[in-house]
Amino acid sequence: MSGHHHESYLAPRETLWKSIMAWVYTLDHKRIGVMYLIATTFAFLLAGVFALLVRAELWEPTRTIVDEATNQTRVVGQFLPGWTERGLPVTPNNAYNRAFTLHGAIMVFLFIIPAVPAALGNIFLPIMLGAKDVAFPRLNLLSWYTYVFGGLFAVWSLASGGAETGWTFYTPYSSTTNWGSTTAMVLAAFILGFSSIFTGINFVATVHKLRVPGMGWFDMPLFAWAIYATAIIQVLATPVLGITLLLLVLERTLRIGIFDPAMGGDPVLFQHFFWFYSHPAVYIMILPGMGIASELIAVHCHKKIFGYRAIAFSSIAIAAISFLVWAHHMFTAQTAAFNAVFSALTFLVAIPTAIKVFNWISTMYKASIALNTPMLYAMSFLFCFTIGGLTGPPLATLAVDIHLHDTYFVVAHFHYVMMGGTVMAFLGGLHHWWPKMFGKMYNEFWGRVGAVLVFIGFNVTFFIQFFMGTQGMPRRYATYVEEFTSFHKISTVGSWILFLGFLIHALVFAHSLVAGRAAPKNPWGGLTFEWEADSPPVEHNFDHEPVITHGPYDFESVVPPHCSEQDFPLHPAAQNGRAHGH
Amino acid sequence: MTSGGVQFAFGPGVLSSWWDWLWFHNQTDTSTFARGVDLVFFYIFWVSAAFFVLLMVLMAYFAVRYRRRPGVAPEPSASHNTPLEITWSVVPTILMAVMFVWGTYEYLPLKIAPADAEVINVTARQWGWEWVYENGAQSRDRERIADMDSPVFALPRGRPVKFIMSSNDVIHSMYIAAFRIKRDVFPNMYTSQWTVPKEATHRWSEEMKQFVPIQPGANNGYYMACAEYCGDQHSQMWARIMVLEDADYVKWKEIQASTDDIPLLVLGEILHKTKGCVSCHSVDGSKGTGPTWKGIWGTTEQFKGGGSAVVDENYVRESILEPAKNIVQGFANQMTSFQGQVTERELMALTTYIKSLSAKPDDLEAAKAASDAEMEAKKKAAEEATNP
Repeated sequence: MSGHHHESYLAPRETLWKSIMAWVYTLDHKRIGVMYLIATTFAFLLAGVFALLVRAELWEPTRTIVDEATNQTRVVGQFLPGWTERGLPVTPNNAYNRAFTLHGAIMVFLFIIPAVPAALGNIFLPIMLGAKDVAFPRLNLLSWYTYVFGGLFAVWSLASGGAETGWTFYTPYSSTTNWGSTTAMVLAAFILGFSSIFTGINFVATVHKLRVPGMGWFDMPLFAWAIYATAIIQVLATPVLGITLLLLVLERTLRIGIFDPAMGGDPVLFQHFFWFYSHPAVYIMILPGMGIASELIAVHCHKKIFGYRAIAFSSIAIAAISFLVWAHHMFTAQTAAFNAVFSALTFLVAIPTAIKVFNWISTMYKASIALNTPMLYAMSFLFCFTIGGLTGPPLATLAVDIHLHDTYFVVAHFHYVMMGGTVMAFLGGLHHWWPKMFGKMYNEFWGRVGAVLVFIGFNVTFFIQFFMGTQGMPRRYATYVEEFTSFHKISTVGSWILFLGFLIHALVFAHSLVAGRAAPKNPWGGLTFEWEADSPPVEHNFDHEPVITHGPYDFESVVPPHCSEQDFPLHPAAQNGRAHGH
Repeated sequence: MTSGGVQFAFGPGVLSSWWDWLWFHNQTDTSTFARGVDLVFFYIFWVSAAFFVLLMVLMAYFAVRYRRRPGVAPEPSASHNTPLEITWSVVPTILMAVMFVWGTYEYLPLKIAPADAEVINVTARQWGWEWVYENGAQSRDRERIADMDSPVFALPRGRPVKFIMSSNDVIHSMYIAAFRIKRDVFPNMYTSQWTVPKEATHRWSEEMKQFVPIQPGANNGYYMACAEYCGDQHSQMWARIMVLEDADYVKWKEIQASTDDIPLLVLGEILHKTKGCVSCHSVDGSKGTGPTWKGIWGTTEQFKGGGSAVVDENYVRESILEPAKNIVQGFANQMTSFQGQVTERELMALTTYIKSLSAKPDDLEAAKAASDAEMEAKKKAAEEATNP
């Protein structure tokens, strides 16, 4: 490896073969991060196609046509009419059921859980800490291959007809239906869990051991705090999912009664096990998004983040409380006293979450706000995540949840947090760090157009779903009563706007890679270590180990590294304590 | 259904303003729980709306007021303010404590049905609902909802009813949006929920000899749906709920309870729908989860793992009572046993009905004759009983 230390980590080797092998065997956290980025983007596209199919299917309440042969009305498939399984056509309802299951399972297990930590986290966590790599580079590579291996099982499930249990695999439906595809999907989730655990262990060790000398816990960027909190949940919660899914596979294959009442099992036990992982997993999905939001807002507002410690501690508080709220997914299945306890615990999560939002918006006070693509996404995040957060309390409130449980209100709430929160932050982070990752600037104008379209499309698609939920439209419905038709049509139109926004982003990024102008080392005036490194960074990130001379958000007293004082002047009041990044 | 504007799934209510989209239009007092639940929701809604508007106005204002100006440094300001931070931690905590206490207060009565509540036994299956009333009545009224023949159930106005529910197969969830009630239904235990409907939606019409909506178009009764994903036709487990005044309710149950005077052939056709056969077995030859009944009588079915049988009285009986014993090739083992859920006469009715769907005209004639003969015999027996 010697001889490459001072080149870009993306630089090709002497021959094509060596270049390919250098990626296949790479231990460089940045290359592994890029490989994750590519793999998760592929998963996102795949799951996104299923989302569009789901929305297309719901354009009409039922799929009725007049059969010309018999002159009778009958239900037919609107899409995928030729989908067969073991020679038998799949009913149109089931085509829909598979589409939403695959959308959910792929988005959750293959995209949103790994996307931020394993892609952006992998690339930027070590650099932000001033480290050369993660703590266990070989484990890091193994986690990527484990992810791909798990992904192959998901593709197998898809190719063999697709699971139709919903991503939650509730028993006994999941233990009695559609043997091969469902087992494959459950195994996929099981294997992907290991990938997630490996990444988590790696990041916990990295944060503990590899901070550059002199960097205390409270000198870490907030993105690192968020990734750290996420990694703790990954390590502690994912094994529970692993054992649960393993029990499910054992029940299916060996006919041991664990969850299936026909064999003496208890289906509610599965729900407890499943949500004991999957509720904390919701925070695995959102915490990294919150971390990105902190970076975006601080850098593009060029302002010291308001309440640094409150944001850092709230990440840890959310991680801790996340283990105590799982049963709020089962208010319609449990006894009164049990529900009351979990309702109260659920409200606790809302408090640190609210504190974060207050801090982010306070950071914008007396700031210097650049309304570029990453900042537009940060504001989209604040808008959508606030709605997502505020629609949590109705679901935590017992009397109201009984009505809203398993309706479109839940679908909308979940998407406002996961997509409006995490995906908006992820897209903002992608634009924010794109120049650093690939050494190329993107087209700012078209980036903003894409951001605005994604924002509009997202809200058109999902805002209306809150009303569908309050009016009593249950979720996971292929067929519905015609009263809801106009609601569904609006939502479907939104999904097309959303698609257009993503298409523009894809073109902007492709154009940037091919013809983008070279990125400077610090295009946004950031103060964290990645902005001291080259764009793209060299193989071991820095030519010399960086020295910590200021906090990550000391914009008031420091001119950012590689930036001029004309672009980022210091306020006269702050001149006394002035410093200069290097 | 669609005349006069957009209508909603919980039944009544024509959309007249954006406000109706938010929650329930003229629907806040339909059951014991509805009003309380709605008040808690509105409390949460207004608190949330106030916070959302405040935060977004601040964000937009800051984004414009403090937008970046080249060469101008932002004015320093505190990055920490203890009184402010304590305030914005404590205020939401108090507001949410109210949500918790109020929400739990409204919820607890839902779990305790009054002792005098009328019990309705509910069975859910893939994919349909069966309600058995205290007099043994089951609904035979049907309405086409979401492309499926769905049951119409009646409830008494102003009296408590308790649903004791179980499932024949996987988990379902019985959801009546207008009453704000929902409870999961399990295969391995009974669960229950209760309600008191407050407004009558239908009445008996002497002219039309049937139950009709009191305010047709504005309130055609309420929808019931399955809220827990249960497979293929999860989205077609709808039912219609009509609320009747006491006298009408008693009359409805009596009408539903007596099947003795229904000829076998007609009863078979009714049972095909009410027992849920229709969700898997078509009668028009179209493909379903199970074999179509059209033309099946007298044919030879090939079984998975070898073996075959001619479709006759014994085969139909076995298929209903022990469906898992022999699975027809090309179909999955989906059906659950109806042992103990159908009477001997109902078995005969179903057999007669299936026979009538045969490809051979003779079988149809035979089914009709058998059905008529049974009615004649019944009539004769009844006459003998009254004139000994």
